[in-house]
Amino acid sequence: MPIHDQGYRRYGGTRTPAGQAWLVIAKAGVRTFLSKKGFLGLLLLSWFPFFVRAVQLYAAANLPNAAMLAPDAQTFRQFLDQQGTFVFFITVYVGAGLIANDRRVNALQIYLSKPLTRAEYVLGKLAILMTFLLLVTWVPAILLLVVQVLFSGNTTFLTKNLFLFPAITLFSFIYVVMVSSAILALSSLSNSSRYVGILYAALLFFTQALYGVLRFVTGNTKLSWMSFSFNLEQVGDAIFRLPPRYDTPWTVSLLMIVLLIVGSGFVLERRVRGVEIVA
Amino acid sequence: MNAPAPPSAVVAADHLSKWYGQVIGLNDVTLTVPPGITGLLGPNGAGKSTFMKLITGQLKPSKGEVRVLGEPIWRNPALYFRIGFCPEQDAFYERMTGLEWVTALVGLNGVGETQAATMAHRALETVDLLEAKDKKIGAYSKGMRQRVKLAQALAHDPDLMILDEPLAGMDPIGRRKTIRLIKEWGRAGRSIIVSSHILHEIESMTSNILLINQGRILAEGNVHQIRDLIDEHPHTVYIKADETRALAREFLSYDDVLSLRFEDQAVVVETGKPDVFYARLTALAASGDHGSIHEVTSPDDNLQAVFKYLVKQ
Repeated sequence: MPIHDQGYRRYGGTRTPAGQAWLVIAKAGVRTFLSKKGFLGLLLLSWFPFFVRAVQLYAAANLPNAAMLAPDAQTFRQFLDQQGTFVFFITVYVGAGLIANDRRVNALQIYLSKPLTRAEYVLGKLAILMTFLLLVTWVPAILLLVVQVLFSGNTTFLTKNLFLFPAITLFSFIYVVMVSSAILALSSLSNSSRYVGILYAALLFFTQALYGVLRFVTGNTKLSWMSFSFNLEQVGDAIFRLPPRYDTPWTVSLLMIVLLIVGSGFVLERRVRGVEIVA
Repeated sequence: MNAPAPPSAVVAADHLSKWYGQVIGLNDVTLTVPPGITGLLGPNGAGKSTFMKLITGQLKPSKGEVRVLGEPIWRNPALYFRIGFCPEQDAFYERMTGLEWVTALVGLNGVGETQAATMAHRALETVDLLEAKDKKIGAYSKGMRQRVKLAQALAHDPDLMILDEPLAGMDPIGRRKTIRLIKEWGRAGRSIIVSSHILHEIESMTSNILLINQGRILAEGNVHQIRDLIDEHPHTVYIKADETRALAREFLSYDDVLSLRFEDQAVVVETGKPDVFYARLTALAASGDHGSIHEVTSPDDNLQAVFKYLVKQ
């Protein structure tokens, strides 16, 4: 047997505990997108509605003739609805390539040969998109609550609507988890981020259009569960204690959202592998 | 396991099999890989990459068990820190620089950012890529790409390096450098499993080899013993010369020549003792007694032919 001198140095420094490798993926991803000027522009633009709402809250609190601008639960619900456009663009911009690009360059094989589990990899990728989506939904909506208190100089509105904080939080997280898991699952199906973006948009608009046609034929809104964006609206209305927009029970809409998330998890489990097996 | 693997074994496989649907990737392999450099030799499609993916924990065995550095590798990512894997395929973001790419991958091993950059820097220096560390990988040559892949496998100081066809596509100088590096790592005490489908490449790195074909390990051990095994079988030599008839008459007097035939301007000889035959042929060519000998080739250098011999045995 050959005699080896053991001359190489083994790493003797500190290492982060197991289970935290997803943070490395998440940090690297967030930094990558923040270094893109176009993306920063999109993020800044997505805060424009916040400033408009802040002006509304200021006027309602300080101008006697602007009483009709006084906020209620619907104000915050509408704000989150308006952010939907930016959520869509950020989801496509960030999410479409999250796994597809790694697949295109065969990076998964090398990532998963490191001390990184598939779950950590997916969690890291989810964290990248969720960070940006929460930055344009939950963060500005909560800040609006704070702004309302600051402009009005009292906590009357907040104490009367205490449910708004958990409502904004719950709705934002359901929204963000749903779209993030869906685009991530689609991203794992292709090597092209462009196709993923197109597929995501097509699925979104196709289900809306299909529901639109069926509503016209049936004359009611019981089939709104077919569209994921309408399911979200229905669940959002229930969370914000507002009258429902559709005839579909909100529990059915919630079930559809849960099914989408579970289905996305199943796809990710099947597709995120270091080695693609074609039997 | 039927018989426990030696405690020093870096890889121990016990009746290891992998099927891809109806296709067998690896078939009932039982072996132990000792410390040091081990060459995994087999033609394309033999099962080398499947074996490597099994021992890096990327594939789940269909049957049997595989232990790496004494622990089961499947679903044991903590063990991956002790392993450095260099895949055959490129796996780059071409817009990243070599340093960025290696640093990012070292970071996945759980080391801090500053430490990861230091380790990446050191690894790139080892593979002689320090000058090109800030170049985009897209601008790297094939040899540089292979070396940057080696750097990421090496950077976190693993105990075991698993290198899948690391010389593929390299130019002769790159090959020589890489072979030298692998031998240095071996001498420094690392265990290295390196795959190739070219016998002389493996021979230049190590004498300890595993022969694999059609998902089975055909032979394992010292390359010279395997050479002896191969050399017991008829070996064909193709000799292109001016005076093939005269050469043929000379060859017929050799007791190791089993048969001969003519092809165009060449004589094709089947010998039972290739080493003896080559020695005589060299002397014959040097004497010039039978005219000029233009070309000597051996179809048996084709690894597939060697495997056919072994399989027939």
